[in-house]
Amino acid sequence: MKEKVSRYSFKIIGFLVAAISIFPLFWMAMAGFKKESEVLSYPFKFFPSEWILTNYIELLQNPAFMRSIGLTLFVAVVATTLIIFINSMAAYVFARLEFPTKNFWWLYVIMTLFIPSMAILIPSYIVVAKLHMLNTIYVLIIPGIASAMNVFLIRQFYLNIPTELEDAAFIDGANRFKIYWYIFLPLSVPVFVLVGITAFLGYWNSLIWPIMTISDERLYQIMQLLAYFRSDQGNDWAMIMAGSTIAVIPVVVLFLIFQKHLVEGIKISGIK
Amino acid sequence: MKKLSAINRSDKKTAFLMLLPLIGLLTAFVIIPLFYAVFVSFYKWNFYQENIFIGFENYRRVLSDPLFYKAMWTGLKFAAIVIPAQFILAFLFANLIRTLGGKFGGFVKTSIYIPHVISGVVASIIFLFIYDFDGGLANFIITSLGLEQVAWLADVKFALTSISIPAIWLGFGLTTLVMLAGLNDIPKTYYEAAVIDGANAWHKMIYITIPLLKNIFLYLLVVGVTGAIQQFDLPYLMTGGGPLNETMTPNLFIFTHFTKDPYMGYTVASALLLFVILAVISAVIFKLFNSKKMDS
Repeated sequence: MKEKVSRYSFKIIGFLVAAISIFPLFWMAMAGFKKESEVLSYPFKFFPSEWILTNYIELLQNPAFMRSIGLTLFVAVVATTLIIFINSMAAYVFARLEFPTKNFWWLYVIMTLFIPSMAILIPSYIVVAKLHMLNTIYVLIIPGIASAMNVFLIRQFYLNIPTELEDAAFIDGANRFKIYWYIFLPLSVPVFVLVGITAFLGYWNSLIWPIMTISDERLYQIMQLLAYFRSDQGNDWAMIMAGSTIAVIPVVVLFLIFQKHLVEGIKISGIK
Repeated sequence: MKKLSAINRSDKKTAFLMLLPLIGLLTAFVIIPLFYAVFVSFYKWNFYQENIFIGFENYRRVLSDPLFYKAMWTGLKFAAIVIPAQFILAFLFANLIRTLGGKFGGFVKTSIYIPHVISGVVASIIFLFIYDFDGGLANFIITSLGLEQVAWLADVKFALTSISIPAIWLGFGLTTLVMLAGLNDIPKTYYEAAVIDGANAWHKMIYITIPLLKNIFLYLLVVGVTGAIQQFDLPYLMTGGGPLNETMTPNLFIFTHFTKDPYMGYTVASALLLFVILAVISAVIFKLFNSKKMDS
C-alpha cells in the first residue's frame, strides 16, 4: 500500500517537472497566436481568447526573417558536414595510423581543449579581420570547424572498432583513406549523430561570434536577428514570441527525431 | 596485426594529408589567436595605429579595475546559484525517473531534455516576458499570493537570481539525464548485498550511489562551473549587465570592453586573466573532489 502511494506520487511529481520544463516553450508559441493587446494582459492567460495567425504569417512573409532562417540553416548544415568530415578523418589517423611525431600532434590537438573560447575570442576576431573575412559567410563557418573535443570523441569510438574488418580490406589492397571512407564512415553513424547534433545546435544558437563579426544585415544569423529584433521591436511581444517560436522549430524537430541517439550519446561520450 | 602497425612511407604521407585540415584550422583559429592574445596583451594595440609595447601595463590596469573584480565575483556568484540548484534538483529527479518506466518515463525524459536545444537568446526572450513588471507571469503569481510586485531584473537584490532561473531551466534536463545514465550503470547486486547487510535507503545513497557517481559529478561540476562563469547570452539580453553591474558576468565585461574600447590590449589581458582563473577553479574542483574521497 505504502509503495503504491509513493509510486503514484512519483508519477505526479514526474509529470509536474516535465510540464514545468516544457511550459515556457508552449507558452511562447501561444503568445504568438495572441493579439498584441492581450499578450501581457492581467490576469494571466495561457490560451489566446481569440486565435490570430497574423504574427506568424507576417513573419513567414518577411524576407529578412526568412532569409536569416535560410542562411543560418545553410551555415549550420555546411559547418556540421565539414565538422564531421574533418574531425573524423583526424580521429581515424590518431586511432589507427602510426607515424613519427604522432604524439606531438596528438598533444597539439588535445591541448586546445583547455583553451576557453573567450580567451581567444578577441584575437580570433583580429585574425579574421586581417584575413578580410568579416561580413562574409566564411567567418561564420570556418573558424569553428576544427574541434579537439570532437576528434577526441570520435577517436574513442574508433578505438572500440575491431581491427579484423580492416585486415580483410588490407589484404585486398585497400589504402588507408579507402579504409576510412568505406569501413569507418559507415560504422560511425552513432557518434556522428551526437557530434553532428551538438555542432548544429552550436551554430544555430550562436550569438556572440555573429554579433562581433557580422554587421551586414543580409548575413544576420537567426539568434542575432532575434536579439536585435527584441531591442528594436521593444514591446511587440506577440511578434517577438512568434519569431522565437519559428526559430526553435528546426532544433526541436531535429531533437525529436534523434533523441534516442542523443541519450545513447550520453553514454558514448564516455564521461563515466 | 603487427603488419598493420608497421610504419611505412605511404602511411606517413596519408596520415599527414588526413590531419592537415584539422591542424591547419586549429593553428589558424586557436593556436595563433592564443599566442597573439599574449602578444597583444603587452601592447597598446589597435587596428589603426602603430602599436606600442607597454609591458605589464594592461595587466596592471585590469588588476586595478574594480569592475573586473566585480565581474569575476558576479561570475562566481552566478555559478554558485546555478550549479548547486541544478545539481540537487537533477540528482533527486534522476533518482525519481529511474522508478518510472515505459512510455510515461520516456515522455518525462523527453520533456526535461527539450530545453537543452533552446538557445540563450530564446530563453532570455521567454524570461523577459515572464519577468515583465505589469503583465508578466512572475508578478502575477507574486501578487496572487498577496505580495508586492517585484522588478525582477532591475532590482539589485533579485537581478542575478532572476537570470539564474533560465540557466537552471536550460541545463537541468541534460544534467539529470547524465546522472541517470550513471545511476543505471550501478549494478543492482550492490544494493541487494547492502540490503542483506541491513542498509536503509539513506545508507545506500551515501555509501553506494554517491561514491559510484563521483566521476560523473566531477565532470558535471567542472563543465557546469566553467560554463556558468562564462555565461553571456542571458545577461546580454536580459539586463545588459545591470542594474549597477550586478549581472555583469566576465564574458559580458570582456564583450562590453571590446565594443567600447578601441585598444584591444586591455580587453585581451582581461580575457587571459579569466582563462587563468577558470583553470585554477577547475584544478581546485579536481583537487577537492579527489582528496575528499581519500578520507572516506
